[in-house]
Amino acid sequence: MDLISHFPVILVINLFIFAFAMPLISRRSNNWATIAASFSLILSFAISITLLLKVLDTGAISYYLGGWPPPFGIEFYIDYLSAYMLIVLTGMGLLIFYYGTASLPFEIGRHMVGWYYTLYLLLIGAMLGIAITNDLFNLFVFMEISAIAACAIISIKKDRECLEASFKYLILSAMGTGCYLLAVALIYMITGVLNFDMVREVLVDNIALYPNNVLVALALIGVCFCVKAALFPLHVWLPDAHASAPSPSSAVLSGLVIKIYAIALIHLMFRAFPLELFYQVPLTEIFLWLGAIAMILGSIFAMTQDIFKRMLAYSSVAQIGYVFLGIGLFNPTALLGGLLHILNHAIMKSMLFMIAGIIIYTKGLKKVREFDGMGSQLRWTMTAFIVGSASMVGIPITGGFISKWYLATGAFEADRPFFIGVIIASSLLNAIYYFPIAIRAFLGEPKPENLPVRPVLKHMLIPVVILTVLVFYIGMSPQEVVGILELAIDKLFAQ
Amino acid sequence: MEIIDNLVQNYFYLVAIILFIIGMHTMLTHSNLVKKVIAMNIMDTSVFLLFVAVGYVHGGAPPLVEIPAGTETYINPLPSVLILTGIIVALSVTAFALSLVTKIYEYYGTCDADEIADLRSEE
Amino acid sequence: MDDQLIITIIMFVIMFPILMTAVIMYGGQHSDKLRNFLSLFTVLITFIGVLLLYPEAVSGRVFEYQLFEVLPGLAVSFRLDILSYCLVIISSFVWLLAAIYSIGYMAKEHSQLRYYAVLIFTLGSCLGIFLAGDFFTLFIFFELMSLIAYVLVIHEETAEALKAGYKYLVVTIIGGLAIFFGVIICFEAAGTVSIGEGPLITEASSLAWMAFFAFLIGFGIKAGMFPLHVWLPDAHPVAPSPASALLSGIMLKTGAYGLLRMVFDVFSPELMQAINLHAVMMVLGIITIILGSAVALTQDDIKRRLAYSSIGQMGYVVLGMTVFNEQVLTGDIFHIFTHAIMKSTLFLAAGAIIWKSGIKKVSGMAGLGRQMPVTFGCFTVAAFAMIGIPPLNGFLSKWSLCLGFLEDGYIFFVVILLLSSMLNAMYYLPIILPAFLGKEEIEKDLHVDDEGPAFNINEASKWMLIPMVVLALCVFLFGTFPSNIPFELSNMAAKFLLTGGF
Repeated sequence: MDLISHFPVILVINLFIFAFAMPLISRRSNNWATIAASFSLILSFAISITLLLKVLDTGAISYYLGGWPPPFGIEFYIDYLSAYMLIVLTGMGLLIFYYGTASLPFEIGRHMVGWYYTLYLLLIGAMLGIAITNDLFNLFVFMEISAIAACAIISIKKDRECLEASFKYLILSAMGTGCYLLAVALIYMITGVLNFDMVREVLVDNIALYPNNVLVALALIGVCFCVKAALFPLHVWLPDAHASAPSPSSAVLSGLVIKIYAIALIHLMFRAFPLELFYQVPLTEIFLWLGAIAMILGSIFAMTQDIFKRMLAYSSVAQIGYVFLGIGLFNPTALLGGLLHILNHAIMKSMLFMIAGIIIYTKGLKKVREFDGMGSQLRWTMTAFIVGSASMVGIPITGGFISKWYLATGAFEADRPFFIGVIIASSLLNAIYYFPIAIRAFLGEPKPENLPVRPVLKHMLIPVVILTVLVFYIGMSPQEVVGILELAIDKLFAQ
Repeated sequence: MEIIDNLVQNYFYLVAIILFIIGMHTMLTHSNLVKKVIAMNIMDTSVFLLFVAVGYVHGGAPPLVEIPAGTETYINPLPSVLILTGIIVALSVTAFALSLVTKIYEYYGTCDADEIADLRSEE
Repeated sequence: MDDQLIITIIMFVIMFPILMTAVIMYGGQHSDKLRNFLSLFTVLITFIGVLLLYPEAVSGRVFEYQLFEVLPGLAVSFRLDILSYCLVIISSFVWLLAAIYSIGYMAKEHSQLRYYAVLIFTLGSCLGIFLAGDFFTLFIFFELMSLIAYVLVIHEETAEALKAGYKYLVVTIIGGLAIFFGVIICFEAAGTVSIGEGPLITEASSLAWMAFFAFLIGFGIKAGMFPLHVWLPDAHPVAPSPASALLSGIMLKTGAYGLLRMVFDVFSPELMQAINLHAVMMVLGIITIILGSAVALTQDDIKRRLAYSSIGQMGYVVLGMTVFNEQVLTGDIFHIFTHAIMKSTLFLAAGAIIWKSGIKKVSGMAGLGRQMPVTFGCFTVAAFAMIGIPPLNGFLSKWSLCLGFLEDGYIFFVVILLLSSMLNAMYYLPIILPAFLGKEEIEKDLHVDDEGPAFNINEASKWMLIPMVVLALCVFLFGTFPSNIPFELSNMAAKFLLTGGF
């Protein structure tokens, strides 16, 4: 049995199998559940690496589910961009999971941990599916799975705010999915096929016959992915959802979930629609301006927030604006910056949410103004916070600088230097709300209530340290990642 | 006149779009949580209707293995299959949403989003 | 010495302090003596390393080395030419003396470990700025140095220090972003940002103007040029005195160095004159000179007065960069040397005064000169040099500048220089004269050190005195003999910038 050729489907299916087995395993004990879930995630990570190496070696991989070729069957298509996202998803999924094993028993109670693993593995599996699928309807199915899983990992915490935030997220997400399904219906009406490449073939020849269908479909797809990726002004669900969720959920939501929809959007734009369409339809222009506004307004909102996690959530709104700026500028360099920012932000934001979780765990503090003097007791944590905020601002030798460099260069090449000003203004705004926290943490006077409640768990700190090292690694030698992305972008634009 | 003609001939498209808009509008503006869930269902159902209607071929027979003699074309079975999946997906989302509504009712004592917002801002 | 060794030494003087920071932070946790020893050791070894580069630097050769490539077209590279060497040698020299001084000054302070660690780290990053081979590396080290120096500014952790530090931080970040903008424009215009491969921007376009203003804002903030100087009068006084000496003496010069590189390596002097960019710098330089000297008159706090004086003096450097003949450039670079030495002496002396007597205000320093003769003696020598009295080094740099201005017909600038010298006299003499000749007013503003008995106002400890005296001697030496080493180095650097060789 040629197992290796089935890797793309094993990647996703093993997570689903383990997800459904979790409740049974966790009846035995939580430790077994942790081991099983870790095994599943590590397996997926190993498969992702193998797939990346194979793709770099031999080019894109096309896998037909069940052996049925399109248009009869569903195709999984792994090219450079998908392989890159696979690594990001499984790698970060693993690190956040590692953090979660330490922090979850405290946040949601020991008895719920097994159920949480179920949802987490479902979420990661669904996101992997979104990254590699090549079929319109399959994308819908995976999007729905990930929507349910994402809402559930928020509402698993028995907290009033969590439930309400989760419901809001679900409703808005369902609205987005409804729009997407309508778009698929409209496209199916005129092409009769659902596979990305086949749809594009039909559209390239026949788009002049059915311009309205395609335009409406594009608009609906734009709305759907703007809601799901939390682009301004459809970001309203994000602050509540990310702030009230347990910390590993916040980390995975802010770091991975909103990004995968940006990737799905890129896949649709470049693989399912003819490229010339975007030079005539101002969709990218809309993304560009919305992204720019998001960058500024997200930071401005973040400045006014008192609760730390809400501040980080609004910061995510601003950072997803960078990715959409990259998409909107629509030239290779800017897109490279946007895609690299996906990785950078995943690392930075997950690290910051983990730090928030550590602070809540050790001190029970949620508000920013209570963080004074924390640095003397939580040295490693707050040092990592300084590194994370430096990367957010874009200080050189950290990863954030590299993605900002590419975005700025891309803005220049697209002949729109105004957006360099937007990037710079947004960096400044980021500094204004991140640095005072770090300063006060190290130099402020600890308030009397800041007595240590519990010591930091090793397992909570190790992922934070690993991510800090990654920040510096990407800042100082991003060549490998950039190399993969350049191959990906060449392929995207080469039509 | 041509537009009216087209609309009348393709009335199912029109109905689907109208249902979609009703669903989306209700979902976003009405404050009762259960109404939002119902509206979500209406929205999804409208898209399913559109899908299935698209699959209809004039003069086609149902896609069965044993067919009455004399049929030349079948209707397109693919949309029906897709919609089965879609219905199940919508079902799961509805189930989850309703369980959330139940829990919210337990915690907040009301099913009205505006009242919940008031309660939250009082905290 | 062969090239490989030279390049190793270049990398060494940058990396050694940065790495030793970690060693100091670890080793100094347990023992103060070890920490002090390691700090002094690091600075001394760095200075010796710099001295070893002397014969190669003055031979006129340029050494370039690329460490690694970060992105295609952007690399971290290092470069040693005579201009870099001028700045590197004065930096490491003053740093060495400031470190020795710190041992005495900081003996009773809090958070000394943090202070020494940051002191050594900023030394490494400063040398990194001066030895950078392209604007990207310069930007990296510039950001690092500016951000880490924040810790020095807020060292005292008083409310005033935190406020000044916050202002410093915001302004620094804005400056960093401005330089980032400038580097991007250069990269787009030229495809590379290396120094020494000819001017990066060769045609007058809106791009050139944008890049000019970006760099001007970015480096001007650091150099304390009007109107970007607003952080300086608050930040320099609140830092501990040896740190003030370094901030005023050396870190301002990083901004000036950046501006010099901008003038000569981003735009060429011809381009700047063609599109009148140098006129902008001239105007700003003149306003800076007058503003700095005039406002210094109104300050009573001695460190604030010295800070405004720094602003004025950096105006000379900016003004000198806009006239492109050899005499002026020699004077310009020599003024970097002399101001570093003079201002460090002044700040170190002021620090000794404050440390010993607790008196921060000039009005309260009457009669102190008789009780602290050596300190005030050094202060006087440096102050006279600032005013421009021969045969001190300040006079020599001003003389060189004036001769150069006259050569090109800028008589107005000579007038400005004379005017500001007069202003300098007007705010330095009231410190010196009452100190030696005035009545003692010890009762006012005396704050007693909590530790130990209220001490008599006599001289500060030898750790603090020796650097001051050494610097004062330098002031004297480098002025009296017209062909002294810094002057020759400046002359070579000026020739090198203008013609590419000497």
